[in-house]
Amino acid sequence: MTDPTSATPEGGSVIHDLGYRPYTGPRLGPAAIARALVITGFRNAFGLGRSGKSKVLPFILLALNLMPAVIVGGVMVFVGLDALPIGYAQYASTTQVLLGIFVASQAPVLFSRDLRHGTISLYLARPLPSSTYAIARWASLLGATLVFLLLPILVLYAVALLGELDVSDQTSDAAVAVGLALLLALSLTGLAGLIASWSTRRGFAVVATIALLLIGNGIVTAIQGISQQEGHARVGEVAGLFSPYSLYRGLMSIWTDNKTPTPPTGMPMQLAYVVVFIALSVACLGGLVWRYRRVATA
Amino acid sequence: MRTQGLTKDYGPVLALDSLDLEIGPGITGLVGANGAGKSTLLKILLGLVPATGGRAQVLGHDIASDGPAIRAAVGYLPEHDCLPPDVSASDFVVHMAMMSGLPRVAARERAAEVLRHVGLAEERYRPMGGYSTGMKQKAKLAQALAHDPRLVLLDEPTNGLDPAAREEMLGLVQRIGRDFGIAVIVTSHLLGELERVSDHVVVLDGGRLLRASRTDEFLDATGVLLVEVLGDDAQARMVAALSLAGVTTAPRGAMLTVDAAAGERDVHDLIRDTASDLGLGLVRLQVDHRHIEDVFADGSGAVTQPSADPREVTHD
Repeated sequence: MTDPTSATPEGGSVIHDLGYRPYTGPRLGPAAIARALVITGFRNAFGLGRSGKSKVLPFILLALNLMPAVIVGGVMVFVGLDALPIGYAQYASTTQVLLGIFVASQAPVLFSRDLRHGTISLYLARPLPSSTYAIARWASLLGATLVFLLLPILVLYAVALLGELDVSDQTSDAAVAVGLALLLALSLTGLAGLIASWSTRRGFAVVATIALLLIGNGIVTAIQGISQQEGHARVGEVAGLFSPYSLYRGLMSIWTDNKTPTPPTGMPMQLAYVVVFIALSVACLGGLVWRYRRVATA
Repeated sequence: MRTQGLTKDYGPVLALDSLDLEIGPGITGLVGANGAGKSTLLKILLGLVPATGGRAQVLGHDIASDGPAIRAAVGYLPEHDCLPPDVSASDFVVHMAMMSGLPRVAARERAAEVLRHVGLAEERYRPMGGYSTGMKQKAKLAQALAHDPRLVLLDEPTNGLDPAAREEMLGLVQRIGRDFGIAVIVTSHLLGELERVSDHVVVLDGGRLLRASRTDEFLDATGVLLVEVLGDDAQARMVAALSLAGVTTAPRGAMLTVDAAAGERDVHDLIRDTASDLGLGLVRLQVDHRHIEDVFADGSGAVTQPSADPREVTHD
């Protein structure tokens, strides 16, 4: 017979079946596995590593969300304004509908999909505990939401610096906006994730999340508007505690120059806004961990 | 793998009833009707479902305290669908290998190799939503093997497959156990399948152990020959002649069963000579192969063949 390592006489190469080869390389610990899960989930949230169709919606939303910032950039460069026409923190409030749709549509990708297709049992049959799985999924969605929120801020900041605006002013404004964006992303991720983890149907999760975020915000905004006109600002301040978007606006009014109706007045109320914002996020994350612990033992 | 008094009580249903079981290396078939406790046993062994009572060790790890260590060294093919439709088999197996702790580069190599072994060719780059049932089962098997486990738990791998795909899957199971050197526990409610591929067979019924032993003991331990003779009053004359020669013989239907284990002479020769002496036509002389089904028949206490070896009924 011919030498198995050589090519065939015709010059073609041969594939040799080496049989089964055991894996002797390293096996990484839970931290590395969780990191891999977070990265894959983050990519999946934008449709990367999935079918071509699933990339369409997230990237359209991302492009729409960035468009105002790019337009502002163009205006700044060609006209030369002495201030940004839109505040860093105000941006997310202006594009809140896009943000809501993005979070609502991509949370089921990370949470409902595994439950619907039974993939969750493969994850649970692997070393990662269910609580780590839940936190990793949550972190993926948080990362995707932060990209959605922070990219426009980055673009605006770059435009401001190119327009030779005052660097220290711009930096501190942008830093406040980043902090606010983090709070908003934490709460939206928690809410959307929790809803999606209770629904194996993607459509239901999307509708429920959009309803909660946008309709809830609509109701709160209406109450705040009426209470300001009627002179009962306190009512509007309390109502503001009931939606992530209104919490965001309330804190934005305190911490930046962008004023909104019925901002929280007085130290206790302002503190309540911060506490509710954080507590909502923590409660949702706790709910997620609890939910997946139940899934694991069902 | 070893269990001691393993019990799982689902409230209204007692899925496992103080099961004592020991499973060694090689391919072990886990047989039982639907609801016999096969899937529950696998889930408990993986540490997915806590046992109500009893203890179990898998690969030397205790299921109660060492769940992650077990899950790192075990591959699992669930009974139900578990594949996301919008991901390709290639990407999915890479991801699942990484979920078992393999670094990315190693995961890619392993995924390519394992997909080749299960026989998924170019279609591995297509989303799995468009796969046939046979391809899906292969992808499920590939993810179970991706991290080179020491033991794979295959829950009904042939479920829903056509005969050709079923043959292929059984061939794969056999290769995993024999060539790959990975211990296999495979469940099925079709007994004939496991009869062929497994070294050991464990029969569960209603959460209790009906029988556990080597497959060849199941099939060949009878030591009984089936004889068919033709002629005037052939059966009665043959029985009389063979009994006279000191061989236990009994009629079964149109044939005779001859206990070949007794007597020092070669019983085959004896039967041939006896038939010849009596002037009878010897139509058939064969080993009495039993089927795993017989164990069920024995177990339910219903139809027991008169020839049944008393050793068969080990349970009670």
